[in-house]
Order: sequence, then structure tokens, then C-alpha cells
Amino acid sequence: MSAAGSDFVARALLTRRIVVCVGCGGVGKTTVAAALALEAARRGRRALVLTIDPARRLADALGTGPLGGEPRALPEAELRALGVPPDGSLSAVTLDMKRTFDGLVERLNDSAEARKRVLENPIYQHLSDALAGSLEYSAMEKVYELYERREFDLVVVDTPPSQHALDFLEAPTRLIEFLDSPIVHMLIHPAFSAGRLSFKLFQRGTRRVLQLIERVSGLSFLEDLSEFLLAFEGMAEGFRDRARKVRELLVSRESAFVLIAGPSPQSVPQAEEFLARLETHRVPLAGLVLNRMHLWPGTAAPLELSERELPGHQGALARALTGTGLEADAAAVAARAALEMATGYAALVRRDGEAVRPLEVRALSAGRFVVQVPELGDDVHDLAGLARVAEHMLQGEQREGAGRG
Amino acid sequence: MGGDPTRSLLTRRLVVISGKGGVGKTTVAAALALAGARAGLRVILAEVGPEESVPRLFEPRPRPVGYTGRELVPGLHAMRIDPYEALAEYLALQLGVRSLVDLVLGSRPFRQLMDASPGWRQLITLGKVWHLEQMRDEGGEPRCDLLVVDAPATGHGVSFLDAPRVVVSAVRAGPLRRHAAQVEALIQDAGRTLLLPVALPEELPARETSELVARVRSEVGIAVDRVVVNGLVSLPAEPKLDELASRLSQLDKTPLPGAPPGAVLAACVRYLAERARLGAHYAGEIARNTGLPVLCLPFLPAGIRDSGDLAGLAARLLDDAGAAPGIPA
Repeated sequence: MSAAGSDFVARALLTRRIVVCVGCGGVGKTTVAAALALEAARRGRRALVLTIDPARRLADALGTGPLGGEPRALPEAELRALGVPPDGSLSAVTLDMKRTFDGLVERLNDSAEARKRVLENPIYQHLSDALAGSLEYSAMEKVYELYERREFDLVVVDTPPSQHALDFLEAPTRLIEFLDSPIVHMLIHPAFSAGRLSFKLFQRGTRRVLQLIERVSGLSFLEDLSEFLLAFEGMAEGFRDRARKVRELLVSRESAFVLIAGPSPQSVPQAEEFLARLETHRVPLAGLVLNRMHLWPGTAAPLELSERELPGHQGALARALTGTGLEADAAAVAARAALEMATGYAALVRRDGEAVRPLEVRALSAGRFVVQVPELGDDVHDLAGLARVAEHMLQGEQREGAGRG
Repeated sequence: MGGDPTRSLLTRRLVVISGKGGVGKTTVAAALALAGARAGLRVILAEVGPEESVPRLFEPRPRPVGYTGRELVPGLHAMRIDPYEALAEYLALQLGVRSLVDLVLGSRPFRQLMDASPGWRQLITLGKVWHLEQMRDEGGEPRCDLLVVDAPATGHGVSFLDAPRVVVSAVRAGPLRRHAAQVEALIQDAGRTLLLPVALPEELPARETSELVARVRSEVGIAVDRVVVNGLVSLPAEPKLDELASRLSQLDKTPLPGAPPGAVLAACVRYLAERARLGAHYAGEIARNTGLPVLCLPFLPAGIRDSGDLAGLAARLLDDAGAAPGIPA
């Protein structure tokens, strides 16, 4: 949008160690994250992009198969061709949620037996795939692991597409609250907690809850659950400590958040909610990337023709087209098609501009950068495509729309 | 997997609409519900998820419909299934004591347990859907003819539909298992129930839709017999667009307001032509990968402005059933 905005992007890429891309699904978050990482590499940093669920061709371009797990460096020759200097590098990794979570369990348990007990518990096996917020939690866990390894100057994170804004920030807290909750203690140590005075106050209600769950679910489920929690309990301290560190890192000066939004009617309200939630979490938002915008090619305002004047314009354009060697009839057909498509495209441009305006105003007035990236159709599935996205983000005032040469 | 693409969508009792956020899932659900209501059916349109998107498709100044719901147009009753409300209703039915249920649901430890527990939201939501399907009036006739469920946008929509099966396999006995089995039976009844996936003709949504259909077939056992592909750009048949673009590019200036260069018009033509080509390509890919007919809905640059636009889509949904117009092999 503005040259200052682009400077901001560039500075974030050069000074931070973590850039988190947030936004709802379908706005091209993965693409923007990968493009930012590539741009950091072009500026001489050792960059890594952590993706969640990339489109296949993009995953191919980044060399991350479905069974990633470990970062893979992109071939040097390809990167050099895109202007990455010798001290810069780009690696990519796709999050393997289950493995990350299992890895955490393994790290937090000293004894092999305790590890086994958790990993083999039927509830854990059933639920670790779907454990509330575990995708979000795993992403953040992986970020911290990569941060600690210090093999990369910058980790750009593509967050899970989540309907609830910022689940990944809140998931660790939710999990800890749960582990700390009286009901969990009741399940783990029913006899022990029953004797303690401080539990007396809620005990009646809690016992009723347990009875209720028993009546509805059958006792076996409660037994399995309690066994699972008991096995989990040994890890609670390490888990808590880890979650606190992740959170501290994310709100520190080493991290920056970038909000990605698209102009669709679903995306804009969700992005507004994200903005509000980021503020209440005091998360360091760097700026806003408006992705997949229909931008008008050329410098003038998008074409706008009134219905009444349309026949006149069509006639004039048809006459101009006869100058290119068309017969009058064919020129009339061509002029009608050209105007239909140009006004149709102009309507898209205006619609997108109006849709994102409230977001833009809000971000700019809070001192955040705003950059626009045009809708590039099917073009962004290789490194060159990512480089083009990065250029749009860093090109400041230059606007480019439908034109794709 | 059971299902019949030539059978009208309106002959099912339950149609679950699935798809990722932003593909137009809610619009398709609303259009189908409207089509049903216009055909004289009593329709319930149930949204699942944290916010309501249906009312704004019908009302210029949308008001929430809530858990009880209300009639948006004659014959179309819209509601949003909130898992906690559904849980309260279920427990009250099970225990017969609403005050105890309210006490329990209001307790903080219980909330914490539920907030952290996976799976129950999906299960209770489907339980409510089952309950709606079962409702009978005094004469023993079903209270509604068609139930359209706008499934959650998160994940592939499979975990939502799969919750009853997981419970049946994880819980050994008790009322919960019995109820989950009833819900599972409804989901798997191809005579009553259909899954209608909605996709955009783009790379990622096309792939996800193919994966969804594959997983649904292998795991959930719900009937799926067609896929809706939303947002296809259609183009004038004449002239050849490449040629048009290159002719336009020859004009330094066009005789239009502001005298834009011909290259600007050419860029618009190229963009839309490319988008139409990609749309047809990915719609074809979905048809090939799923082996299902694709039902194409047009791209609406201005979105849904009023119920007239919605009615247009509704007509397309029914007209085109089973056809795959313009999809190259």
C-alpha cells in the first residue's frame, strides 16, 4: 500500500526470529508465509517456513511431503537463481501433529514406562488426533522446538485455519486450566481430594457432575478417562512450563504477527475479530496483508459505465476495433464482450476495495502496515510464484492487477 | 456408496452440506432450503458453528434466529444448534430434572471439563439433528419434510459426521452408546440421508473435496452422490478471447471515459478467461477424482444481494441435478 508499509515488512523479516501468519482459512496464508520466508532468505537470513496443510504443488515446490516432520533445505541452485545470497537459505517443514504431540509426551516423561502408559492409553490414542486445540498446540510446540534449536534466523509460521480466532494462543492455556481443574483432581485422586477442606466447596457440585456423566456415558468411559489423566499428570508440570515459555516467546520482541485476510464476505468479519482478539491478547501485530485482491490494471480508476451510455461506448469501441482489421459485425461482438468483461472485472475491483476498507482503516489507524497482493490465479505454486507474491508485498506503491502478460 | 445422482435433492429427509470456509457452503444450504420451501416442503435449516450466517442471506437487517429458531420465509425454519443448549436439552430429557441440569451446566468445573473434551460437540449436535428428524406432530406425521444442515467449516467435516461411530467403538455400554448408535444409523441410511459437498474450482478446495469424498466413503458410510462446484465464471461464446485480448492491446487508447489503454481491457479479458479455464479444469478434476457428477453454480461477482439471487441458485441446484455441464473430460 505505502512505501512505509513495505519497509515495515522488510524490517520484520530482518529483525524478528518468529513471524506468525494468522487469518482464517482460504485466504492464502500458506502462500504468504512461504513468500515471506523466501524474501527473508533473499535478504541473507536462514529462513524456515512451517506449513500446516499446503496445497500439493506448493508442497512439492517447497519439498515437504506429507510425512515431513523435519525441516528440509531447498536446493541452493534454485534459490541462487531467485536472488538468494550465499549466506541466505530457505527450508520448509510440514507440521505432523500426531508426531509433535507424541514427541512432547516423550520429552516430558523421564521413565519409559510412564511414556508407554500415556501413548498406549486408549483415550489418548482415540483423542490425541482430536484433542481440543491440539493442532493449534502442536504448531506452537513445534515453533518453540525450532526456535530453541537455533538453526534458523527466522521461522515463519503458517497457523491452522481455525474458526475461533487465536485458538493456537489459547489452546495451551485451556489445556493447563483443564489439567489444573478440580474435576481432574477428583478423577485422579478421588479419596485424597475428598478429605481436603478446600475441595469441600465445589465437591457437591462436582460429584453430581461425575454421577451425571456416569449415568449418561456408562462407567467404563470414566475409568479410561481417569486412567488417562493419571498417566498425564506426571507430565503436567513440564507441560505447564513449556506452554508458558511458548506464550512468552510469542508476545516478546522476537516475534511479530502478520494478519492475512482476503476480500471475501466471510474473510473480512473474521479478520476484524482477529484484530480485536490480538489487541486483547496484547500480541505484537506488525501488519495486515490483503491477499488475493482484484486490483485494477493501470493507473486510472476502475471502469464505470452507466447502462444508458453503454450502447454508445460499445459503438465507439467497435469502431476503434475495426481499425485492427475486424469487420463491422465481428467488431461489434468483440466490443460487447470486451466491455462486458471489463465492467465485470471493474465491479470485482470495486467490491474488493470496499470490502477491505474497514480493515485497512482500522489497521492503519493503529499504526500497522497494510499491503495488498493481487489475485494471481493459479500462478503461485512454485518458487518463482512465491517470489512474485513477495515482490508485491514489498513493492510499496506499485499496483498491478489483472495483467499477467 | 448408496445414492443416486438422478434423484432430486428434495426427496431426502436430511441433507448435510459440507465444505471448507469461504466456499459458499452456507449459501448452498440456504438455496437448497429455499428450493424446498418453494416446492411446498416444511424445511428446517440448521446452522452449526459459532456464528449465524443464514439470516443475512434472507434479511437486509438480519436478526439472530438462535437455538429455537424462527421462520425466515414461509415454510423455511432456520436455527443454530449451539452444543451447550443441545446438551442441556438432552440431559433434561434424560434426567427429567431441568434444575439439576442447569446447576451442573452452570458449574465451572463442568465447563472446564467440557471445554477441554473433544468430540462431544459434534455428537450432541448430530444428536439434535437426529431429534429434529424424529419429531412428530399429534397425528404421528414428521414435523418437517426436509432438514438441511450446514456442517462446521473446520477440518474436513468428516470428524463431525464420524463422532457417533467413534463413540460406539469407544464406549462399551450405556445410554450414550445406544443414542450414538441411533444417530449413526440415521447418518448411514442412504434412503433418508445425503452428504452434499461444496467446493470451489481451485487447487486446494478441489483436492480437499476429493479427499473428503474418499474418507466419507471409507469411514463414515454416509451417501454422497454429487458434488456442488460453486463460483464458475461463464464467458461469452463469441469471440475468441485470446484474439480479442491481442486486438484490444493494439489500441493505445480506447474511446471510453478516461480513455483507458486497450491493454487494460485486454488484461481484464485475460484474467476472466483464465479464471473460466481454471474453473472448468478443477471442476473436471473433482468429477474425475470422485467419480461423481458435478453440479455447477455460477460465479456471482456481487455475491448474494437478495432472496432473488438465492432463488436463482436454488433453481440451478434442482435443474442441474446429475448433470455436469461443460466439463471437459
